Amino acid sequence: MILRWLARSGDRAEHERLLDDARGPWAGAPPSGPPDPLAGLLRAAAAPPRPRELAGEEAALAAFRAARQAAAGAPAARPLRRRFTAGVVLWLAGLAATATAGAALAAANLDRTEAPPPPPPASATVAPVPTGVPATPTADRPGGRTPTPTGAPSGAAPAPTSASPVPIEAEPRATAHLGRGNSGRCKAYLSKPERQREKALRTPGFDELVTAAGGAEHVPAYCRQLLAETDPNWLARQEPEPDASTNGTES
Amino acid sequence: MTGELSQAVEAAQAGDEDAFRLLYRGLQPGLLRYLTVLVGADAEDVASETWLQVARDLPHFTGGEFRAWVVTIGRNRAMDHLRRQRRRPAVSVPVQELAELAGDADTAERAGESLGTEAALAMIANLPPREAEAVLLRAVVGLDAATAGRILGRRAGAVRTAAHRGLRRLALLLDQRAEAATSSGRRAPGPRTGLSPKAPRTESVDG
Repeated sequence: MILRWLARSGDRAEHERLLDDARGPWAGAPPSGPPDPLAGLLRAAAAPPRPRELAGEEAALAAFRAARQAAAGAPAARPLRRRFTAGVVLWLAGLAATATAGAALAAANLDRTEAPPPPPPASATVAPVPTGVPATPTADRPGGRTPTPTGAPSGAAPAPTSASPVPIEAEPRATAHLGRGNSGRCKAYLSKPERQREKALRTPGFDELVTAAGGAEHVPAYCRQLLAETDPNWLARQEPEPDASTNGTES
Repeated sequence: MTGELSQAVEAAQAGDEDAFRLLYRGLQPGLLRYLTVLVGADAEDVASETWLQVARDLPHFTGGEFRAWVVTIGRNRAMDHLRRQRRRPAVSVPVQELAELAGDADTAERAGESLGTEAALAMIANLPPREAEAVLLRAVVGLDAATAGRILGRRAGAVRTAAHRGLRRLALLLDQRAEAATSSGRRAPGPRTGLSPKAPRTESVDG
């Protein structure tokens, strides 16, 4: 009984060691006897990466860039919300104070709560605005709460031009608005093997792209057009293998 | 290891693209192999969905084990994927892709004495899911039992037990394989007779 338990726990310890060592440097076969096939299996499963496994690297980086740009577009929203909650807390504190202390203190607190959110154009910036310096055009004009910050035709041109020589501004509004975010998605989409693309479009991650393109069937054309403007080099690298519509009948 | 990793995570959170690339290269292979066992041929799709979400949610990552965070996202995406697939049973499994996979495995086996990565993963995929996941998270992703347990929603001890059982089963399969190989020679096209497919996803890897 005890022997069996010992054997078993030894087994377990050995297994733990194998699991830990699978990714480590090759320690060589055990000193005596043939190489352990189980260790070999685990090492094979945890073998160093093959290039094929990293094929999605550029797409992942594109997603990273797109996310950064989207986040950079909406920096005003978060601090504002935080300030708002801080205000609420202050206000509640104020209420509590009113109950106990005099009204003067409460008044001071109330004053403060009303002051903080100088409501800048949150609505304009919350959207995934892609361009580099999104806040400027609207921030310049406190009254102007135009929902389309970049494409705004009027005299708002001077500020943005310095940062974005990209011809996005000339685009129709929809493209300009979603362009950068979607160019990452487009890259992710176009870097997929042909036969996986259609399926990919049914995943929630691509919803926005499909909407922007106006339907799944328009996505390839939309993406090519978009990337031709935002990142022609990438597109050129990707395109040499034209959409061989073999649908993967061979490989 | 963890120091480097958390440095890279911080840099990536600050917007450093190279740091993100480093994270990708470090995690993707293990993640992809894990997902391959979970969802078969769609693993690459699920992995790219995972990275999409990682990129998006990176600012909200508040510390802890980064690999576990990424793998958790991947696992959730995989479960979503399987759920979607179940709802849409008409989706065909791209057969020739599986054939490729199996072919790769075979050539890898013939080329060297040792098992190829694909063949090894195919064998692990034949384990009951709990055991397969425990083995993969421990050996391939490189997490300890406690961290793997957090991902799987189980205690560290349960993960250890599952991994242990999985390894025992694998050892058995390896024995059977060796026997089959010696008894039947190498003329049969599919020498991996010891592996009986149990579920569609294991079929998908095994061919």
